[in-house]
Amino acid sequence: MMKQLFPKQHVMGFIFSMVLSVVALAVITFDMSYKMGMAILLVTAIAQALVQLLLFMHIGESEDKGTLYTNIIYAVFVGVVTILGTLFTMIWGYQIY
Amino acid sequence: MKIDESLPLEYSTEENRLKILGFWIFLGAEIALFSTLFTVYFTLQNGVGNGPSAEELFKITPVMIETVLLLTSSFTIGLGIHAMRLGMKKAMMTFFVITLALGLGFLGTEIYEFLEYIHEGATIQTSGFTSSLLTLLGTHGAHVTFGLFWGTAILIQVAKRGLTPETANKSFIFSLYWHFLDVVWIFIFSFVYLKGMM
Repeated sequence: MMKQLFPKQHVMGFIFSMVLSVVALAVITFDMSYKMGMAILLVTAIAQALVQLLLFMHIGESEDKGTLYTNIIYAVFVGVVTILGTLFTMIWGYQIY
Repeated sequence: MKIDESLPLEYSTEENRLKILGFWIFLGAEIALFSTLFTVYFTLQNGVGNGPSAEELFKITPVMIETVLLLTSSFTIGLGIHAMRLGMKKAMMTFFVITLALGLGFLGTEIYEFLEYIHEGATIQTSGFTSSLLTLLGTHGAHVTFGLFWGTAILIQVAKRGLTPETANKSFIFSLYWHFLDVVWIFIFSFVYLKGMM
Protein backbone atom coordinates (compact mmCIF):
# COMPACT_ATOMS: atom_id res chain seq x y z
CA MET A 1 0.00 0.00 0.00
CA MET A 2 2.68 2.51 1.05
CA LYS A 3 4.87 1.35 -1.82
CA GLN A 4 1.97 1.82 -4.22
CA LEU A 5 1.25 5.36 -2.96
CA PHE A 6 4.90 6.48 -3.00
CA PRO A 7 6.28 5.53 -6.43
CA LYS A 8 10.06 5.34 -6.45
CA GLN A 9 10.39 7.81 -9.32
CA HIS A 10 8.49 10.53 -7.43
CA VAL A 11 10.42 9.95 -4.21
CA MET A 12 13.73 10.09 -6.11
CA GLY A 13 12.62 13.27 -7.90
CA PHE A 14 11.73 14.88 -4.58
CA ILE A 15 15.03 13.91 -2.94
CA PHE A 16 16.90 15.13 -6.03
CA SER A 17 15.18 18.54 -5.92
CA MET A 18 15.93 18.87 -2.18
CA VAL A 19 19.58 18.02 -2.82
CA LEU A 20 19.72 20.60 -5.62
CA SER A 21 18.34 23.28 -3.24
CA VAL A 22 21.05 22.46 -0.70
CA VAL A 23 23.74 22.51 -3.41
CA ALA A 24 22.48 25.95 -4.48
CA LEU A 25 23.03 27.13 -0.89
CA ALA A 26 26.77 26.67 -1.49
CA VAL A 27 26.83 30.06 -3.25
CA ILE A 28 26.18 31.82 0.06
CA THR A 29 28.02 29.47 2.43
CA PHE A 30 31.30 29.42 0.48
CA ASP A 31 33.31 32.32 -0.78
CA MET A 32 33.30 32.14 -4.56
CA SER A 33 33.42 34.38 -7.60
CA TYR A 34 30.23 35.90 -9.04
CA LYS A 35 30.63 33.87 -12.24
CA MET A 36 31.06 30.60 -10.37
CA GLY A 37 28.04 31.36 -8.17
CA MET A 38 25.83 32.20 -11.15
CA ALA A 39 26.95 29.04 -12.95
CA ILE A 40 25.96 26.89 -9.95
CA LEU A 41 22.59 28.66 -9.62
CA LEU A 42 21.82 28.28 -13.33
CA VAL A 43 22.59 24.55 -13.28
CA THR A 44 20.65 23.79 -10.07
CA ALA A 45 17.62 25.93 -11.03
CA ILE A 46 17.31 24.52 -14.55
CA ALA A 47 17.77 20.95 -13.28
CA GLN A 48 14.99 21.49 -10.73
CA ALA A 49 12.69 23.01 -13.32
CA LEU A 50 13.27 19.98 -15.56
CA VAL A 51 12.44 17.57 -12.71
CA GLN A 52 9.11 19.36 -12.22
CA LEU A 53 8.33 19.59 -15.93
CA LEU A 54 9.28 16.08 -17.01
CA LEU A 55 8.52 14.03 -13.92
CA PHE A 56 5.78 15.75 -11.93
CA MET A 57 3.94 17.56 -14.71
CA HIS A 58 4.11 14.57 -17.10
CA ILE A 59 4.72 16.86 -20.09
CA GLY A 60 5.64 13.99 -22.39
CA GLU A 61 2.79 11.54 -21.70
CA SER A 62 0.00 12.54 -24.08
CA GLU A 63 -0.35 12.60 -27.84
CA ASP A 64 -0.11 16.43 -27.65
CA LYS A 65 3.44 16.33 -26.36
CA GLY A 66 4.91 17.84 -29.54
CA THR A 67 2.64 20.87 -29.15
CA LEU A 68 3.39 21.11 -25.42
CA TYR A 69 7.15 21.01 -25.89
CA THR A 70 6.97 23.58 -28.71
CA ASN A 71 4.78 25.86 -26.61
CA ILE A 72 6.96 25.69 -23.49
CA ILE A 73 10.23 26.04 -25.40
CA TYR A 74 8.80 29.04 -27.25
CA ALA A 75 7.62 30.61 -23.97
CA VAL A 76 11.03 30.08 -22.38
CA PHE A 77 12.66 31.58 -25.49
CA VAL A 78 10.45 34.67 -25.22
CA GLY A 79 11.29 34.92 -21.50
CA VAL A 80 15.04 34.57 -22.01
CA VAL A 81 15.04 37.14 -24.83
CA THR A 82 13.04 39.54 -22.64
CA ILE A 83 15.45 39.17 -19.72
CA LEU A 84 18.77 39.07 -21.60
CA GLY A 85 17.71 41.64 -24.19
CA THR A 86 16.75 44.08 -21.45
CA LEU A 87 19.93 43.47 -19.46
CA PHE A 88 21.94 43.89 -22.67
CA THR A 89 20.53 47.32 -23.43
CA MET A 90 19.88 48.64 -19.91
CA ILE A 91 22.69 47.20 -17.79
CA TRP A 92 25.56 45.67 -19.74
CA GLY A 93 25.42 47.94 -22.76
CA TYR A 94 25.59 51.69 -22.82
CA GLN A 95 26.19 52.31 -19.14
CA ILE A 96 29.94 51.71 -19.27
CA TYR A 97 30.46 54.56 -21.71
CA MET B 1 -19.37 12.07 -24.89
CA LYS B 2 -16.90 9.35 -25.81
CA ILE B 3 -14.87 8.04 -22.89
CA ASP B 4 -11.65 6.28 -23.78
CA GLU B 5 -11.09 3.71 -21.03
CA SER B 6 -7.47 3.09 -22.00
CA LEU B 7 -6.39 6.57 -20.84
CA PRO B 8 -6.29 8.03 -17.32
CA LEU B 9 -9.62 9.67 -16.38
CA GLU B 10 -8.29 13.21 -16.82
CA TYR B 11 -7.48 12.51 -20.49
CA SER B 12 -10.43 10.24 -21.17
CA THR B 13 -12.48 12.57 -23.39
CA GLU B 14 -11.58 14.86 -26.29
CA GLU B 15 -12.70 17.85 -24.21
CA ASN B 16 -10.48 16.80 -21.29
CA ARG B 17 -7.45 16.39 -23.54
CA LEU B 18 -8.00 19.84 -25.04
CA LYS B 19 -8.46 21.44 -21.63
CA ILE B 20 -5.07 20.10 -20.53
CA LEU B 21 -3.50 21.37 -23.77
CA GLY B 22 -5.16 24.76 -23.23
CA PHE B 23 -3.83 24.98 -19.72
CA TRP B 24 -0.28 24.32 -20.91
CA ILE B 25 -0.68 27.20 -23.35
CA PHE B 26 -1.82 29.39 -20.43
CA LEU B 27 1.31 28.31 -18.52
CA GLY B 28 3.35 29.53 -21.52
CA ALA B 29 1.76 32.96 -21.02
CA GLU B 30 2.55 32.75 -17.31
CA ILE B 31 6.20 32.12 -18.16
CA ALA B 32 6.15 35.33 -20.22
CA LEU B 33 4.49 37.22 -17.33
CA PHE B 34 7.04 36.13 -14.73
CA SER B 35 9.90 36.76 -17.19
CA THR B 36 8.89 40.41 -17.45
CA LEU B 37 8.73 40.69 -13.64
CA PHE B 38 12.19 39.11 -13.32
CA THR B 39 13.40 41.51 -16.00
CA VAL B 40 12.18 44.53 -14.06
CA TYR B 41 13.79 43.19 -10.88
CA PHE B 42 17.15 42.49 -12.56
CA THR B 43 17.13 45.96 -14.08
CA LEU B 44 16.25 47.82 -10.87
CA GLN B 45 17.87 45.64 -8.20
CA ASN B 46 20.79 48.03 -7.65
CA GLY B 47 18.57 51.08 -7.35
CA VAL B 48 18.30 50.99 -3.56
CA GLY B 49 18.17 54.75 -2.91
CA ASN B 50 17.97 55.38 0.83
CA GLY B 51 16.38 51.98 1.51
CA PRO B 52 18.01 48.67 2.42
CA SER B 53 19.96 46.61 -0.12
CA ALA B 54 19.35 42.94 -0.90
CA GLU B 55 22.21 41.89 1.37
CA GLU B 56 20.79 43.87 4.30
CA LEU B 57 17.21 42.77 3.75
CA PHE B 58 17.30 39.04 2.94
CA LYS B 59 17.41 36.43 5.70
CA ILE B 60 18.06 32.83 4.76
CA THR B 61 15.87 31.14 7.41
CA PRO B 62 12.37 32.14 6.19
CA VAL B 63 13.50 31.62 2.59
CA MET B 64 14.62 28.06 3.33
CA ILE B 65 11.38 27.34 5.20
CA GLU B 66 9.38 28.60 2.21
CA THR B 67 11.49 26.56 -0.22
CA VAL B 68 11.12 23.31 1.75
CA LEU B 69 7.35 23.85 2.19
CA LEU B 70 6.73 24.55 -1.48
CA LEU B 71 9.02 21.77 -2.77
CA THR B 72 7.32 19.28 -0.45
CA SER B 73 3.86 20.47 -1.50
CA SER B 74 4.83 19.96 -5.13
CA PHE B 75 5.85 16.40 -4.25
CA THR B 76 2.64 15.66 -2.34
CA ILE B 77 0.38 16.91 -5.13
CA GLY B 78 2.36 14.69 -7.50
CA LEU B 79 1.56 11.77 -5.18
CA GLY B 80 -2.07 12.93 -5.12
CA ILE B 81 -2.31 12.67 -8.91
CA HIS B 82 -0.58 9.30 -8.78
CA ALA B 83 -3.15 8.07 -6.22
CA MET B 84 -5.95 9.51 -8.39
CA ARG B 85 -4.75 7.41 -11.32
CA LEU B 86 -4.91 4.34 -9.12
CA GLY B 87 -8.52 5.30 -8.38
CA MET B 88 -7.76 5.84 -4.70
CA LYS B 89 -10.01 8.77 -3.90
CA LYS B 90 -9.29 8.92 -0.18
CA ALA B 91 -5.51 8.86 -0.61
CA MET B 92 -5.76 11.45 -3.38
CA MET B 93 -7.80 13.76 -1.16
CA THR B 94 -5.40 13.29 1.74
CA PHE B 95 -2.44 14.28 -0.44
CA PHE B 96 -4.34 17.31 -1.74
CA VAL B 97 -5.18 18.42 1.82
CA ILE B 98 -1.49 18.07 2.81
CA THR B 99 -0.53 20.05 -0.30
CA LEU B 100 -2.89 22.89 0.56
CA ALA B 101 -1.75 22.91 4.20
CA LEU B 102 1.88 23.22 3.06
CA GLY B 103 0.81 25.99 0.67
CA LEU B 104 -0.85 27.79 3.56
CA GLY B 105 2.35 27.41 5.58
CA PHE B 106 4.30 28.90 2.69
CA LEU B 107 1.93 31.84 2.47
CA GLY B 108 2.07 32.44 6.23
CA THR B 109 5.87 32.51 6.16
CA GLU B 110 5.85 34.87 3.20
CA ILE B 111 3.42 37.25 4.92
CA TYR B 112 5.64 37.18 8.03
CA GLU B 113 8.61 37.98 5.77
CA PHE B 114 6.77 40.90 4.15
CA LEU B 115 5.92 42.33 7.58
CA GLU B 116 9.61 42.09 8.51
CA TYR B 117 10.49 43.98 5.33
CA ILE B 118 8.02 46.73 6.12
CA HIS B 119 9.39 46.83 9.67
CA GLU B 120 12.88 47.39 8.24
CA GLY B 121 11.61 50.22 6.09
CA ALA B 122 11.35 48.33 2.80
CA THR B 123 7.89 48.98 1.40
CA ILE B 124 6.71 48.87 -2.19
CA GLN B 125 7.39 52.63 -2.42
CA THR B 126 10.89 52.69 -0.90
CA SER B 127 13.13 52.14 -3.92
CA GLY B 128 13.36 50.59 -7.36
CA PHE B 129 14.80 47.51 -5.69
CA THR B 130 12.01 47.03 -3.12
CA SER B 131 9.15 47.86 -5.46
CA SER B 132 10.33 45.46 -8.18
CA LEU B 133 11.10 42.82 -5.53
CA LEU B 134 7.71 43.06 -3.86
CA THR B 135 5.91 43.09 -7.22
CA LEU B 136 7.65 39.86 -8.22
CA LEU B 137 7.18 38.14 -4.84
CA GLY B 138 3.64 39.51 -4.50
CA THR B 139 2.58 38.21 -7.92
CA HIS B 140 3.87 34.75 -7.02
CA GLY B 141 2.24 34.93 -3.57
CA ALA B 142 -1.06 36.03 -5.14
CA HIS B 143 -0.89 32.98 -7.42
CA VAL B 144 -0.37 30.72 -4.39
CA THR B 145 -3.29 32.41 -2.60
CA PHE B 146 -5.53 31.88 -5.62
CA GLY B 147 -4.33 28.27 -5.78
CA LEU B 148 -5.40 27.65 -2.19
CA PHE B 149 -8.99 28.68 -2.98
CA TRP B 150 -9.00 26.81 -6.28
CA GLY B 151 -7.61 23.64 -4.70
CA THR B 152 -10.14 23.79 -1.87
CA ALA B 153 -13.01 24.13 -4.36
CA ILE B 154 -11.75 21.11 -6.31
CA LEU B 155 -11.44 19.06 -3.12
CA ILE B 156 -15.07 19.83 -2.29
CA GLN B 157 -16.14 18.70 -5.77
CA VAL B 158 -14.15 15.47 -5.52
CA ALA B 159 -15.65 14.79 -2.10
CA LYS B 160 -19.18 15.34 -3.44
CA ARG B 161 -18.96 13.78 -6.91
CA GLY B 162 -16.11 11.32 -6.60
CA LEU B 163 -13.47 10.77 -9.29
CA THR B 164 -15.20 11.42 -12.61
CA PRO B 165 -13.67 12.49 -15.95
CA GLU B 166 -14.54 16.10 -14.98
CA THR B 167 -13.19 16.17 -11.43
CA ALA B 168 -10.08 14.18 -12.39
CA ASN B 169 -9.42 16.64 -15.22
CA LYS B 170 -9.78 19.63 -12.89
CA SER B 171 -7.53 18.03 -10.29
CA PHE B 172 -4.85 17.26 -12.86
CA ILE B 173 -4.94 20.81 -14.25
CA PHE B 174 -4.68 22.19 -10.73
CA SER B 175 -1.61 19.99 -10.16
CA LEU B 176 0.00 21.50 -13.28
CA TYR B 177 -0.64 24.98 -11.86
CA TRP B 178 0.83 24.04 -8.48
CA HIS B 179 3.98 22.50 -9.98
CA PHE B 180 4.39 25.60 -12.12
CA LEU B 181 4.31 27.85 -9.03
CA ASP B 182 7.04 25.68 -7.56
CA VAL B 183 9.14 26.19 -10.71
CA VAL B 184 8.70 29.97 -10.45
CA TRP B 185 9.68 29.80 -6.77
CA ILE B 186 12.89 27.90 -7.63
CA PHE B 187 13.91 30.80 -9.85
CA ILE B 188 12.99 33.36 -7.16
CA PHE B 189 14.94 31.33 -4.59
CA SER B 190 18.01 31.12 -6.85
CA PHE B 191 18.14 34.43 -8.69
CA VAL B 192 16.53 36.77 -6.18
CA TYR B 193 17.41 35.46 -2.72
CA LEU B 194 20.61 33.43 -3.13
CA LYS B 195 22.03 35.79 -5.75
CA GLY B 196 21.14 38.74 -3.51
CA MET B 197 22.97 37.20 -0.55
CA MET B 198 26.00 36.08 -2.57
